[in-house]
Amino acid sequence: MSAARRAGSNNHFILRVTLFPMRFWSSKMNRNNIWIHITIAVVVVTIAAVLGQINRWEKSLRVGDVKVVDTMSRVSAKHDPAADVLIKFRPGVSLDRIRQIASRNNDRLDDEIEAVNGLVSLDDMDDADASVVAAQYSRMSDIVLYAEVNGQVSLDDPPDSYSKQDLLERGGVNAKPNDPDFDQQWGQDNTGQDGGKPGADIDSLEAWKTTQGSKDVVVAVLDSGVDYKHVDLRSNIWIRPDSVPAYYDDELGEFNDEVGYNGVEPLSDPMDDNGHGTHCAGIIGAEGDNDEGIAGINWNVQVMPLKFLGRGGFGTTADAIKAINYAIDRKKNGVNLRVINASWGSTQNSKALEDTIRAAGDAGILFVAAAGNNGTDNDKRPHFPSNYDLPNVLSVAATDRTDALTSFSNFGIKTVHIAAPGRDIESTWLGDAYRDASGTSMAAPHVAGVAALILSNEPNLTVAQLRERLLKSVDKLPNMAGKVSSGGRLNAAKALEN
Amino acid sequence: MKFTKDSAIERAKQDLAKRLGVDENEISQSRVVDREFSDMSLGAAPDGEMAAQMLVSGWQIVLSAGGKEYDYRADKHQLRLHNFNGSNYVIQY
Repeated sequence: MSAARRAGSNNHFILRVTLFPMRFWSSKMNRNNIWIHITIAVVVVTIAAVLGQINRWEKSLRVGDVKVVDTMSRVSAKHDPAADVLIKFRPGVSLDRIRQIASRNNDRLDDEIEAVNGLVSLDDMDDADASVVAAQYSRMSDIVLYAEVNGQVSLDDPPDSYSKQDLLERGGVNAKPNDPDFDQQWGQDNTGQDGGKPGADIDSLEAWKTTQGSKDVVVAVLDSGVDYKHVDLRSNIWIRPDSVPAYYDDELGEFNDEVGYNGVEPLSDPMDDNGHGTHCAGIIGAEGDNDEGIAGINWNVQVMPLKFLGRGGFGTTADAIKAINYAIDRKKNGVNLRVINASWGSTQNSKALEDTIRAAGDAGILFVAAAGNNGTDNDKRPHFPSNYDLPNVLSVAATDRTDALTSFSNFGIKTVHIAAPGRDIESTWLGDAYRDASGTSMAAPHVAGVAALILSNEPNLTVAQLRERLLKSVDKLPNMAGKVSSGGRLNAAKALEN
Repeated sequence: MKFTKDSAIERAKQDLAKRLGVDENEISQSRVVDREFSDMSLGAAPDGEMAAQMLVSGWQIVLSAGGKEYDYRADKHQLRLHNFNGSNYVIQY
């Protein structure tokens, strides 16, 4: 960033200049004077580094004309080769001015998060430490509300492509609606199979007497993408209607969003390369009663893939924010997107992510989040985004086939709201496969799916009404008392009762 | 990249040797255990990383050097270093 970081480039210049005579000297080096040369080199490099840092501090003092406090302590030793910073500017600071400020600091406006006024992501162009960049913007308190680091995943080696066989091996190929694997879906209909407790389920069979979902309802799966060609999903994948313009972002350009959004590779479609998003999508909306695989909670629905997790199953906060921003944009363009499923998280808080999820709520979108898998109390050790205290957020814990809270599930009487099946959950996987998986990742889409089911029956419910309905209709369980605020496990049939 | 237990151990040793600036011969293998991790970051997310909350099977590889232990975590698709000087690192995926 900035002249200060350009000073870093200057350091290279200084080094080149100072190292030139060293090369000359090196030709005359011998065993007797090598330590003298090494000492000189160390001194020269140290001076260059100090000069560069002094320049940075000088620039910090100039930028924003604000007082610098404790600059030294903000200089991190950790080097982040791909710094990316989320900054919320104060109201009234125009995008043009933000561009100017960024340019002056040798930063680039990466993206404006339109859903949150004043929020942008900036790319640093000089490989400076992201914490230093964020600190520099934080000091511009006359125009900046907050600035935070967007962590990036740095790799020693670039990832290789996975073969189709890899993906299959990773996944494992393993109404009553006529879907042949429905008897494995204990979460929807627990008959006591595999040691389960009969009735410890969300009561889907009863719910389906009222509704089996509707293609009028759109649920976004904010995840690793979705295998939208999966034989059990393809009929329930959202396709951008002709009436909705293709997504174009001023900073990021045009997206290939015919079947959703890919924030990892904007020109690519949101095909899943991990499997996790496909699994979540199947729980919400695998086609039901189609003589194939499993039945989703919604036999009919539109699943919108929003890809921000990479093939490793992890991604950055900034990419999550951009994807939510996309979802809000689509909603404002007429897409009946009512629910976002977020089966991911971390213990790191982000004000920018919180603001964006709030904006989704303002746009009428329920945000269902996994409570996390550390087996810990979220009231004491927060997990995000599930812990955001927002009126559109639902945090979901995981139960097993005996209606017990799973050993891995996070809980919290104040911060986790509802429980749902989350162990040994059968669902769709990459390459027309199916597999079972465990985690609050699997519990959250049960809640998102039932939310969509309710909306298919009562499309005009507000987010607040929808959230209240889900929480008030749980099956109260003694072992959930003190663990989740509703005191119970999701029940689809009850949730459909007015 | 697709890891086996052995190749993950080998790669972890290489990484630690490079990090500590020591020869690989100075690194020993304290223990390697099969383990179920809490999420797709193998319970070792660097700052700002969000991870899918699905349990995944892998290996915990504990290496020793200079009297200290280092906690590497791997599955078939990635290798991470947990809590190295207070931070987590993705070594390879």
